[in-house]
Amino acid sequence: MMRSLLCLCLLFFAATSTSAAEPLVYRGEQTLWQDTVWDGEVLIDGILTVAPGVTLEIRPGSTVRFTRNDSNGDGIGEHELFSQGTLHAVGTPQRPIRFTSAEASPRRSDWGALNMMMAETDNRLEHCIVEYAYRGFHAHFASAVLRDCLLRANQRGAQFQESRVVIERCRIIDNSNGVQFRDSVVELRDSHIARNQWGVRCVYSTLKLSGCLVEDNLINGVNAREGTVAVSGNRIVANRRGLYLQKSRGTVAGNDLSGNSEHGIFLEEGNIEITGNRLAGNGRAGVRWVNAGGLLKGNALPGNGEYALINDGAGPVDARGNWWGDVPPELIAVAVRDAADRAGMGPVDTREALQKPSPWVTPVTGTSY
Amino acid sequence: MIRLLVLLPLLLVACQAVPYAPSRMTEYAGAYGSDLVWEGNVTMTGDVLILQGGSLTIRAGTEVHVVPAEGTQIDPEYFSSLTELLVRGRLRIEGTAERPVRFVIVERPELEAIAWAGITLDAAGASLIRHAVIPRSETGVRCVGSAPEIIASRIENCRYGIIAQAGSHAKILDNHITGGEGGVFVWRGSNPYLKGNRIDGNEEEGVFVDATSRPYLDRNLVTGNAIGLALWSRDLPYDDVEVKGNAEDLRWLGTGQ
Repeated sequence: MMRSLLCLCLLFFAATSTSAAEPLVYRGEQTLWQDTVWDGEVLIDGILTVAPGVTLEIRPGSTVRFTRNDSNGDGIGEHELFSQGTLHAVGTPQRPIRFTSAEASPRRSDWGALNMMMAETDNRLEHCIVEYAYRGFHAHFASAVLRDCLLRANQRGAQFQESRVVIERCRIIDNSNGVQFRDSVVELRDSHIARNQWGVRCVYSTLKLSGCLVEDNLINGVNAREGTVAVSGNRIVANRRGLYLQKSRGTVAGNDLSGNSEHGIFLEEGNIEITGNRLAGNGRAGVRWVNAGGLLKGNALPGNGEYALINDGAGPVDARGNWWGDVPPELIAVAVRDAADRAGMGPVDTREALQKPSPWVTPVTGTSY
Repeated sequence: MIRLLVLLPLLLVACQAVPYAPSRMTEYAGAYGSDLVWEGNVTMTGDVLILQGGSLTIRAGTEVHVVPAEGTQIDPEYFSSLTELLVRGRLRIEGTAERPVRFVIVERPELEAIAWAGITLDAAGASLIRHAVIPRSETGVRCVGSAPEIIASRIENCRYGIIAQAGSHAKILDNHITGGEGGVFVWRGSNPYLKGNRIDGNEEEGVFVDATSRPYLDRNLVTGNAIGLALWSRDLPYDDVEVKGNAEDLRWLGTGQ
């Protein structure tokens, strides 16, 4: 009797758990209609939908692979996870969850996305690796938290709109574009965003960016258009442009914006308060200012390439109380290009220059990966 | 029977001698993974992406009509809000002095001076841009980790003429880069060879070189720009014989460290 019970239990266990050797396979278009747990290897050879009200939980150490299927030859794989329910993919540092391509020689856009549509519940990705997708994480009208995740080698690391997203301690590297969003409210903190074309690109959004290292992005480190930004305590370095703000408003405080090929900060219109930053060694200028309001105060702007500050707009720039490097006061004007140099440009007020830089502590940035 | 015997060889010859017939399609937008040939008049109605493994050949005398993006794309498919030609495969623009390849903007009211994004080579394969006329783009040619030959082309009124970045070792020979914000930008470990170019009338720099790059600047005429050469490395070899007539011919940048 006992033996039979034991056998029965073993049989039941074997039937309900995912074998490490044989992945759980979803082919074609399928839908999860009830709460589901994945633990182990999963192969998605189609489009898998998580129905509204359903939770998909993925256990630590699981690997989810997507086959490549590019039916229209546009270079974008179509197989993906499409969630209208809730996704809980919570790995651990030792046992991350991996979303990847099933191809032997994987490349960007092999598969579609982790898609969250109208999924305004508690979506969580923690200690996940997302790679070789068209859009690693993609959301519309959704709410999500990404913590300690690595998004790499995707066409776009993360892209969303009309969503609320927190990205914390993530690495978003080697994607074509890093993070791209519109009409969203986003907190992006303590993350590493590197070696993308666009690091962060957003439109009509509210962005709080803090404690991040944004480096080696080939077009812009961080770009916000017509948004509200609070950018503090980041290192935005060695990008083509560091921080490019168009028609935006907000604050930029206590950042290191150095060594960018063109400009540390490029402002076009809008209204920004720029205080307590280090803007050094940028190629063309520390700051390029075009018809924006706001002020530039308490910053250090030494050793920039052509100019510390360019005013390319018709209006004045209030740049009182900055440190311009070890230059005599009469030479500060050489580091600034304004109405005195080009007709039609506005003046720059550089009075009350600091004799030495304000105490500076390089922002601490980092991730757990 | 005799008639048949005469006709049969003719038929066979006719079948074998079908001349190369390019695609009848003349409007292009989207991603292409095959070997594409453009000639005559073609129109880019939107962004064009040449995928890795694919190629685009543009024959001499072709006019590529570029339709600027409507309004401002807020969520562009590729890198720019403007219409762009993005190449991850191979690009061959085979213009000649007599029959250049011209990119022509399709005008409409209130179109801005910068009307399209231009050509981006993103980790592209062996590519050639020869005798092309590229007007009014954000960047005439942007090379990212690519080493094309850009020869005898006219890049005019583009915000940036040519950008070589991320280890782009292009050959940039005998081009005319004029009327933009800046001429040639060399960034992030790029070592292009610039010889015999005329770089003039740009609002800012003729040639800008960052501290990590070592281009070879050889007999370029750089004139009529705000700054002729903006160079970071003090030991960069360059030929300045024809760097003249700029508001400032040479600006050393930073501390040279």
